[in-house]
Order: sequence, then structure tokens, then C-alpha cells
Amino acid sequence: MAKKMILVDGSKCTGCKACSAACKEWNDLPTEKTSLVKSYQSMADFTPNTYTYVTFEEKYENNNMHWLMRKAQCFHCDDPSCLKACSSSAISKTDSGFVVIDQDKCIGCGYCAQFCPFNVPKVDKTTEKANKCTGCVGRVENGLEPACVKICQPGALSFGNYDTMLGIAQARLAEVKKKFPNANLYGQNGQAGTTYRYILLDTPAAYGLPENPSTDLTLYLWKDIIRPIGKIAIGGAAAAVVVGVAINALKGNYKNDSHQDQHPIKREEEM
Amino acid sequence: MSEKKSGSRQVPGKVLRFTKGERLSHWVHAVSFFVLLLTGWGILSEFSRPVLMIFGGVDVSRILHRIFAVIFVVVVVAMFFIKDPKYHWEWLRSAFRFTKADIAHIMAFPKEFFGGHGNYPAQGKFNGGEKINSLITILGSVFITLSGFIMWAPNVFPDQLVRIAYPIHDMSMFMMVAALMGHLYLSLLHPESRAALPGMLKGYVSEKFAKAHHAAWYEEVKNQEK
Repeated sequence: MAKKMILVDGSKCTGCKACSAACKEWNDLPTEKTSLVKSYQSMADFTPNTYTYVTFEEKYENNNMHWLMRKAQCFHCDDPSCLKACSSSAISKTDSGFVVIDQDKCIGCGYCAQFCPFNVPKVDKTTEKANKCTGCVGRVENGLEPACVKICQPGALSFGNYDTMLGIAQARLAEVKKKFPNANLYGQNGQAGTTYRYILLDTPAAYGLPENPSTDLTLYLWKDIIRPIGKIAIGGAAAAVVVGVAINALKGNYKNDSHQDQHPIKREEEM
Repeated sequence: MSEKKSGSRQVPGKVLRFTKGERLSHWVHAVSFFVLLLTGWGILSEFSRPVLMIFGGVDVSRILHRIFAVIFVVVVVAMFFIKDPKYHWEWLRSAFRFTKADIAHIMAFPKEFFGGHGNYPAQGKFNGGEKINSLITILGSVFITLSGFIMWAPNVFPDQLVRIAYPIHDMSMFMMVAALMGHLYLSLLHPESRAALPGMLKGYVSEKFAKAHHAAWYEEVKNQEK
């Protein structure tokens, strides 16, 4: 299947949270107790049962307030840190560009959650499985749009083939920039481009997003340096033991156990 | 692990090398290390995932790894205060103190390891090679404990600290396993050094072995006995 993109147009979002409800419904996730965290935001973070929610930032300018609203979910990175961090090959990326967790393979180690630059995956403590937005791959692979896109009333979410969507995104950004000069396309560079891409009305920092999301260096240190070197060290030690046993056996050192009681100085005389 | 009732460190033909407390620490460390290694190894690589079945799967292993981590740290540290503390601290100090004789032993070590005979002067209770093994064990245990503690509560510590804890945990393990391989070889399969094994089982080594391999220590013990 061709690579897809979901464009989240911040200029059209009204903060109705229908995307969040549709996600719960399609993925059969139980509702959770919510409270007003800040402004009109009702969830502070993702949970194992909440894959998407809307963040609200209130921005004051010239005695006017306007909202910076953003639908948050897994970005579905092209080069996902979680996939590299996973201990169990449970995380994979579909050709359509979605990063999915195989629940049967997942052991809940939480490495994905630790290395995600956006802090998306959450480990369910009772099932010991990591959960996050699935991109509704079941729908996508059958020619449908994700549930959140389907429900979005103001048309803030749109879905289509990558190249087409990129063109639409750039044209729309040029339009939005006329009113919001700081507007930008987010998800272009970090993590080699993300499947969920945003038209943000302000800088990423204003939304609480990292300016340059990237895989933490410690992940490379761990998986690409320490582990290969460690395996070589253990292999080397094992080889040394095998060689040691072989030499001793060939020399007949095992037959002559009296060696053990000889003083080193006596050995010098022997030599 | 029976110990002769006699208070003396010498019985005819034998010398007490490791007290009950020292041996207990060694074996608690050894057994818990193996359980930790096997329960952790199955997480480290998918190839070894079936190893976890020994313990009944990943969920049991997860709990066992934590239980034995506590034993690994708490029991051995407690031994430094309750059972023969003097000998524990002596060992700890000696591991950080390399004498000229130790260096000479380390230089001769590769030759000895592969069945040859190197030259080195009289050694103390722990020879140069044993001190290196001790040092790897001490530093490895400290680093694996600190990183493991952080990994146990990833939500309590800053993300960056948890992220660096993973490679440190693995690195300590690799170091200790490599050292363990040499340790097992020297204690079980090396024709000369395996004479040291009874010292860690029953506490006593033969006088001949003590004279041959740890002459400086043997002299020390003999002088104390007088």
C-alpha cells in the first residue's frame, strides 16, 4: 500500500474532541474519568486507554486570546525510536507509514515509552502491554480513513496518499501564514518525517512540542555500541577458555595434577 | 560448607582461606547472579527468550529478577557488617591495592591461563589475577545495582537518567559474564588453579597449594598462629 499522510490543520480545529471519542469507539477503549487540566483540555497525557486527546494552549496577544489547539496522538515516525528500542520486535512499520505494536509479542518492558521523543506509548500495568494509537491500520488497509479523520467535522483532519497530501499541506500552509506568520509544517524533519503532520499556528515550543525531535544518542550507544562489543567480549572470553582447555589437554597437564603443588620458583628451574 | 570447629586457621596439612561469612557472601552472590543473568538474558535478546520458560515465563521472571536483585545487594552488603566483617573489608581493600607482586602476576597471567608457566613472586591471599576478577565484580555490581534501581522506577527518575541506565546495565553484565567465564575456567577446568576450589567450598586449601600459590599470605598466617 502506498505511503499515507494525515494532515492535522491547526487553523481548522475547533477543539470539539470528537476525534478522541471516535478513537475510543472504534478501538473499543473504555472511557476514563477526566477533569479540566488547563483551559478546555481534559486529559493531561496519554494513557493505555487514551490514544488521542486535544491539547489547549491559551495565547494572549494585543488584549486578545486565541487558542492553540492540537490533536495529540502517535506521530507514526518514518524512523521510529520506539521500533529501535523494542526488546521483542513487537513494533513494526507498515508500508502505509503506520507504526504498530504487536500485542502478542509485547512484554511491557517500556523501552519504547522511554525512548519516544514525544512520550507517546504507555504501558498498561495490569496487562503489561504497551499501548498507543494504531493509526487504525485495520481501516486504512481496507481503504478507509482512520476513525478520527472520519469523524472530524470542521475538516481539520484529512487523509490521503503521501505525495498528494504534502502538496495540499504546503498550499494550505501558505494560506494560513497570511494570518499566522509563525505558522509551520511540523513533522517534516524530525524522525525522518512523520505520518501525522501538522500545520501549527505558532512555533512548536508554543505547543509544548520538541523543536527537533530525534532519537536519543543513548539508544545508539546501547544497541549499536555496547551490545555488539559486549557480545564480542563474551565470545572472546569463551574462546579463550576453549583454547585454554585444549592447550592443557594437549600438554597433558590434566594427567599430571601434582603441578598444582609446585612452587613457582621451582618452575623457573624447570624452564 | 562445614567448617572445622577448631578456632585455628590451620589443621594438619590444610589452611583456612575463606571463613564461613566469606563463603556465604560468595555463594549468595553467585546463585543470585545466575538467576539474575538467566531472567535478564531472556529480555536482552529474543534468541534467548525461551530461557525464561525455566522460570515459568516472562511474568514470573520479571518478579524473580527483582527479588533476586534485592538478595544480590542486601545480603552481600549485610555480610560486610554481620558475618566475618573483617575479612570482607580486607578483601574489598585488597582489590583496590595492586602491589608490584600483583603486577608481576598479571604479566605472567596469560601464559598461566593457557597452560604455560610464567614467573611471578610470592602472592598474598589474593593474587593479581584474582584482584582483577574482584575489581570487575565490585565495579560491575555497583553499576548494575545503581542502573537497575533507576530502571525499576522509570517514572521517578528523569528520562535522560533512565535512558543511560539501560546501556550501563548491559555493559556491567557483559563485563561480569566475561570475567565469570575466566573465573569458572580457573576454578573448575584449569589444572593448577582449580586446587583453589576446596577453599570456597569448605574453607580450607591444602598447605602445599597455599605455599605454591599464595606464599606471602601463607607466611602471614603461619606467623599469626605462633
